[in-house]
Amino acid sequence: MAEATGTDEKLTSLAEEFEQHPERRYVMFGGKGGLGKTTFSAATAFWLSNKGHKVLVFSVDPQASLSDIFEKDIFGKGPVKIAENLFAQEIDADQHIKEYQDEIRQKILDMYGMDEVPEEIEDYITAASAEPAMEESAIFDSVVDIVNRGDYDYYIYDLVPLGHALYYLSMAKVYDEWITKITRLREEMREQEEFVARVRREEEVEEDQILGELHDIRDRIRTASGILTDREKTAFFFVVTPEEMIIVDTRKAAELFAKFDVPIGGYVVNRVLPEELLTEDVPGYLKKRIETQRKYLQKIRDTFGQDILAQIPEMERDVTGMPMIERVAERMYGG
Amino acid sequence: MSEDREQQPAPEEEQPRGLKRFMGRFKQVTYGMASHDMTRYALRTRASMEHLFILVTMGDMLGVPILPPYYSMRLLPYVVPQVATWKRRMLREKDVTDALF
Repeated sequence: MAEATGTDEKLTSLAEEFEQHPERRYVMFGGKGGLGKTTFSAATAFWLSNKGHKVLVFSVDPQASLSDIFEKDIFGKGPVKIAENLFAQEIDADQHIKEYQDEIRQKILDMYGMDEVPEEIEDYITAASAEPAMEESAIFDSVVDIVNRGDYDYYIYDLVPLGHALYYLSMAKVYDEWITKITRLREEMREQEEFVARVRREEEVEEDQILGELHDIRDRIRTASGILTDREKTAFFFVVTPEEMIIVDTRKAAELFAKFDVPIGGYVVNRVLPEELLTEDVPGYLKKRIETQRKYLQKIRDTFGQDILAQIPEMERDVTGMPMIERVAERMYGG
Repeated sequence: MSEDREQQPAPEEEQPRGLKRFMGRFKQVTYGMASHDMTRYALRTRASMEHLFILVTMGDMLGVPILPPYYSMRLLPYVVPQVATWKRRMLREKDVTDALF
């Protein structure tokens, strides 16, 4: 790797990180938009599948780019096989919400033998789906489905931008507490019911289905935030580039993530201009850029130190298609 | 959900056989004297809680958003029959007679 980047610093290898922690099955690359999260996700999926693990790389971003990188339209089509052991999936959140709404409607019709959903209920279903929180919840809920099925050895989660993840994590915390509270209310209601049944010497009261649903919702929220925060199973990597703003933002984001107990596995530096370029007869512009970069690489080392796991050079073309993914994987994991 | 149970105790006690019938009546009378009020009270509490529960889950319907709608929708089917009475109760105007009765 050192020859590629021109830096002689000894870096803890990303490959080693994976070998030392085989139990970390949820892999995520986080960072600001456009830094190469999808590229790294795809390359990691490629590398792991090459080692014989069954891998699913999936995205929940509405502007998902897995389709672009694998040069195959996979949006909303479920897990699509890309290569041996390598599957990719782009979740269509809108579609998921629509199916979910239909499910609710059908359930109402079935439960009460109605021909159509009452107007005020229908209004509520329609209005609720327009809420912004709806999409985040739908996204994380479908992630829970995917992970619960447990069909794969590794789940590589091409993360939505940091803000969304943080937003969901903070939501999850509030929901969890909140649901615990209403569960208690529900249980008190049940006590009243049981009291009546006892006084009237009735048979056991019917099972409270709402209570069951509440428990299920809470489990799902916990699973969803668990995927992001499980110290045993999660490897979360930040992608940085040698630029002032990115370094500052990443450090801030890392602090925030740490607050939500997201275990940060390390940092991967992307878009590093090869130092070899300097020895050739370079225009002043490029020379200046490489010198600036040197300063920021130093800053990255000072800021993140031992946690820097790999440095990936700026490629001469954009990363799309398997041959390019393979090249990035080689740079990341040393082939 | 449970207010309909208030109407009368279980109907299977209507066997017209002397002592059994008498015992049945006796049970009903003692129930009425001793525990009917308590039961009523418990059921009323239960009903208020039910409405409180719908408020905290389906609050959006009245413009009070509390639970994230994605999850409250999961509970929606179970409360469909109560929504109308709940809305009526929540939006009802209150006056001094409420305090008296």
